[in-house]
Amino acid sequence: MLSRLKDIVRKTSINVCIINCGGCNGCDVELVACLSPRYDLEQYGIYLQNNPRDADILLLTGAVTEQWEDKLRRIYAKTPEPKVVLAVGNCPQSGDVFAQEGGRVNAPASNFIPVDAAVSGCPPRPSEIISAVLKVAPGAMLAKSQANREIEDYE
Amino acid sequence: MSSIIWYMYEFARKAWITRFADAKSQESIIDKPPRFRDFPKVIPENCIACGSCTASCPSPTAIKLVRDKTTEEAEGLTYPVINESGCIRCGFCAEVCPSDPKTLECGENHFIKEEFSIIPSKRRYIVDDYLCIKCKACIKACPVNAIKEENSKIVVDQLKCITCGDCVDACKVKGAMKGVFVDNLEDQKKLINLVVSTLEKYIESKQEDLEKLQRESLLQLKIPLSEIWDDALKIIPDAEIAHEIIENAVDRLKVRIVTWNSDMCKKCQMCVPECPIGAISFDNEKDTIVRDKDKCCRCSICYQTCPFGVIKYFLSKFVLDIDDDGEEYMYITVKPSQLDYDFIKGEHNEG
Repeated sequence: MLSRLKDIVRKTSINVCIINCGGCNGCDVELVACLSPRYDLEQYGIYLQNNPRDADILLLTGAVTEQWEDKLRRIYAKTPEPKVVLAVGNCPQSGDVFAQEGGRVNAPASNFIPVDAAVSGCPPRPSEIISAVLKVAPGAMLAKSQANREIEDYE
Repeated sequence: MSSIIWYMYEFARKAWITRFADAKSQESIIDKPPRFRDFPKVIPENCIACGSCTASCPSPTAIKLVRDKTTEEAEGLTYPVINESGCIRCGFCAEVCPSDPKTLECGENHFIKEEFSIIPSKRRYIVDDYLCIKCKACIKACPVNAIKEENSKIVVDQLKCITCGDCVDACKVKGAMKGVFVDNLEDQKKLINLVVSTLEKYIESKQEDLEKLQRESLLQLKIPLSEIWDDALKIIPDAEIAHEIIENAVDRLKVRIVTWNSDMCKKCQMCVPECPIGAISFDNEKDTIVRDKDKCCRCSICYQTCPFGVIKYFLSKFVLDIDDDGEEYMYITVKPSQLDYDFIKGEHNEG
């Protein structure tokens, strides 16, 4: 009963946490633009959290650098279930321009944590980011919580 | 004060209140502005598989040329494929794409093209700086201001030039401004070689006349142009170009002729070591001096060396002109060399 209620609440209030694992800051600027009055993230029920323990969704930016490899795993572990990881920009997907020969980035991020969805672009437009979060997050979280519940019931 | 009143009026407006109560972003924020450079759009049919898009791409994973499988009906298309998770939407690929129409389209910037004004023409007008007297008549005559003075030299801007030829008509020095043909340089060389070798052979066939020639007299000959015209057209089919090249070549041609009368030779072999390129040798078996005609550079050293008048040296000049009947002839003027006349005291020509 309580978990069903949680599912309903999660649909309308999505808590996101931005993680820049070694990018150029371009995507972070676009994410900040989402907070501006023009795009106004909170009118869609998306709330920015600075602590991964409070977040449902991790917004991943940046090609994964060496120092971020284990930190990324730790942050993912700290995020409460049901958690969804959204890669923002090209870097977490392919390394983008940083994935040159002899480069020191360890993209893609899916080598370290499961990435559920991705927004392409370098950087993506704020409207693209918001629409991706809104499209993916509620359904993914619901599916994940249901799956978790099934596992609990089975046990 | 007025601004405060304006703000109060603005806050009191009904539209403002409704908008405040129902705060939503406008739907228009989803729309991309028309100048936005989105991911490149690929039109595979236009691709020429040159690979310039892949070479220009700054991102290692963004673009790849792929080739469809060749089927029985048609050869497989080659075209670029954009990996959206690598593309940074810089638009370089669309900008460098040389195919027309473009294979890659991305925003608007790459449609801006540089203007080209090269008019397809056989001629290119250039200034011979050696002959140019800087009278600037050509600058005045040019209808498109393509000629200008640069570092005290007159130059033609080939991008502006419309190849009208007004500058050649205006030029006061023959040859200072010229319309040269630039397309078929190798063929032009062949044609000039044909003209020169024809003239030379003709003069050398008249060796008997040359032997008799007195020191201060001239020998005048002529060959009709029609003799070489068919061969010339085989080399360059364009009659206008061929005629002008022959005219230019004949008018400025100067040929030095060396004749060799071996009857007078006393086999002193003085000329053999003097020849700078070893064209003269002594044949021991036949007991004669042998001159290699093809090797000879007509430097006249043997002529100056020989004490018996075996060798004679002539200078010839040419002009292409039309005679009274309207037929074109190559006129030849041959005169004996006046070289070192004082030194050898005219003994040569008397023999």
